[in-house]
Amino acid sequence: MTPESSSSSRDSGAIARLRRAFRGTLVWYGFVLPPLFLILVFIGYPTAIAFEQSVFTQVPGGGQKFAGTFHFERLVTDRVFWGALANTILLGVAFLVIIIPLATILASMLNRVRRGATPLKVIYFLPQLTSSVAIAIMFNYVFQPDWGLLNGALRALGVTHLPLWLADPRYDLTGSRAAATILAVWAGLGYFIIIVLAGLQSIPNDLFDAAAIDGASPLQSWWYVTLPSLKPTFIFLIITGSIDQLARFSDLWTLGGPGGSPARSLQSIVMYIFQQGFVGSDFSLAAAAAVVFFMIVLVVTTIAFWGFLRREFTAVR
Amino acid sequence: MEQRLSPPPKAATGRRWRLPHDWRSQSGMSIALWIGAFFMIVPFVWMLTTSLSRKADVSMPRTPSLWPPDPSLFNYKIATDNLPIIRLYLNSLIVVGATTAGYLFFCSLAGYAFAKGRFPFKSTLFVLFLATLFIPFETRMIPLYLFMGQIHLTNTYFALILPFLAGGFGTFLMRQTISGIPDELVDAARIDGASEFRIFWTIILPLCRPTLATLAIINVIWRWNDVLWPLLVTSDSSLYTVTQGLALEGHSQGTYTGVALATAVLAIGPVIVAYLFLQRYVIRSVVSSGVKG
Repeated sequence: MTPESSSSSRDSGAIARLRRAFRGTLVWYGFVLPPLFLILVFIGYPTAIAFEQSVFTQVPGGGQKFAGTFHFERLVTDRVFWGALANTILLGVAFLVIIIPLATILASMLNRVRRGATPLKVIYFLPQLTSSVAIAIMFNYVFQPDWGLLNGALRALGVTHLPLWLADPRYDLTGSRAAATILAVWAGLGYFIIIVLAGLQSIPNDLFDAAAIDGASPLQSWWYVTLPSLKPTFIFLIITGSIDQLARFSDLWTLGGPGGSPARSLQSIVMYIFQQGFVGSDFSLAAAAAVVFFMIVLVVTTIAFWGFLRREFTAVR
Repeated sequence: MEQRLSPPPKAATGRRWRLPHDWRSQSGMSIALWIGAFFMIVPFVWMLTTSLSRKADVSMPRTPSLWPPDPSLFNYKIATDNLPIIRLYLNSLIVVGATTAGYLFFCSLAGYAFAKGRFPFKSTLFVLFLATLFIPFETRMIPLYLFMGQIHLTNTYFALILPFLAGGFGTFLMRQTISGIPDELVDAARIDGASEFRIFWTIILPLCRPTLATLAIINVIWRWNDVLWPLLVTSDSSLYTVTQGLALEGHSQGTYTGVALATAVLAIGPVIVAYLFLQRYVIRSVVSSGVKG
C-alpha cells in the first residue's frame, strides 16, 4: 500500500469506471431495444396507420388523398354503425348488470360452504377455459327453437309458448340479444366468481366479528359489511368487464357471421370494423370506426388507470 | 367469558359451533351451489351426448336426452374426415408455443431493464411500453393485416406469431416482479463479474418463476382462443388453428348438428382434460393477475 500504487490504481479505476458506466448504459439498451422494436413495428406503426387511414381516401391504383373528416361523417350517418354501437353497449350493460350480483351471491356462498368448494370452483370456471367459439357453437344448438336443450327442457316443464331465442331479432327478453347475454353470463361466471372470491378473502375477519358482537345476523353482516367491503372488487370488475365487452367479437361472430344476423341484432362494433375493413375492403371507414372504438376504450381505460394502476405504481416506488 | 356469551347469543355461539342453525344454512348453500353447477355442466353433457348420436344429423328428439339413444362414433369420423384435427392441434401448438416463449422472453428483457437498469430515457420508454395497454388490438387489426400483406407474410406462421411477441402487460408485470428482487443480489453477482445477461438469465428469471408461470398461462389462454387475427391473416386451411378451424367448420356444418358438435368436442376436449389437471395453477394465475383468460 504505497502512495504511488494507490494513486495510479485510482486513476485507472476512474477511467475503468467511466468505461464501465458507458458500457453499463449500452447493455440496458441491449435489453430494451428488441422488445421496443417489436412494439413499434407491430403495435405503434399499425395504430398510426389506422389514424392516418381514417383521414385519407385510398385512390384506386395506389396513392391516397386527404379527406379530412369525410369518413367520420360517413360513419355517423351510417345507421349500421349506430346499430352496432348500440348492440355493443346494450349487451355489455345487460351482461354486467346480471353477472356481478349473480357472481357475488355465488361467491359469497362458495366462501362460506365447508364442503365441495374446490370441485364447485372448477366446474364454474370450466367455460372460461372453453373457447368462446366452441361455446357459441354449443349454444347455437342449445337455443334451437324446436329441439334445443333449453326449449326442450321448457316444453318438458309444460311451457307452451316457446321463445325463438336466436331466431328472433327483436328487442325483447327472449330474443337473440337475450340469448347472447345468457351465453355470455354462463361463460363468464367462473371468472367473476373467482375474482369476487379473492375480494371476499381479503376482507379482515375482525369486521365480521364486530358485526356479530353487535348482534347482526349472517344476512345483515353480508349486506352491511361484506358488500361495502367489496366495492374495489366491483369497480375493478365493472372497468375490466366494460373493456372486455366493448371488444366482444368471437362468440357473436360464430353465432351470426360478420353481419351479426338475424337482422344485425348481434353485430358488435368490432364486427362492424371487421366487416367494413376485411369483408368490404373499405379501409378508411373501418379505420374511422377503429378510431372511434379506440376513443371509447381510452375513456374507460383512463378511468381504470387513475383508479388502479397509478396506485400500484406508487406502491412499488 | 360468561358475560360476553350472554348478550348476543348468536354472536358468541358464532358461525362455527351452533350446529342446527349452521347445518341448515350449510346444506342450503350447498344445494344452491350444486344446482348452479348443474346448469354449468349440463350443456357440456348434452353436447357430448348429441355428438355421440348418429341420428342427431337427421332428427333430434324433441325432449333433450342426456344419454345417446344410439351411441356411435360416426359423427367423429365425419368430423375428422372434414378437418385435419391433428394438423390443427399441431398448428395451435406451434403458434401458442412460439408466442408464449417469445412473449415471456421479450417482456422479461424489458422488465429487467426497467426494474434494475439505469439508462437515459428510461421512464419515457417505460411510458411508451405502458401506452400500448391503451391501444386495443381491434383498433390496429386492419392496418396490421394490410401490413402483413405488404411484407408478404399472410398465410405463414410468422403472421400468427410476430405481432404477439412483446406487450405492455407482460412488461409491466415482469417489471413489478423484478423490482421486488433485492438489489444486493444483483450487485453481488456483478461484483463476481457476471454479465448483465447472465445475471438476468441465471438469477433473475429463476426467481420470477411464479410470475412467468402466470404470464404463460394467461398468454396460452389468450392465444389458444383467439380467432379474430387468424381469420384475418390465414386463409390457407393447412395453417388453421384449432379455434379457427372450429369457427369456420362450425359455420359450414350448421345443418349437421352431430358433426358440428363432434368437431367442437374434439376442439375443446383435450383443453378441458389439461385444465382438470392444472386447475389450481390456472385459477391462481387468473386471480393473481386479475386478467381474464
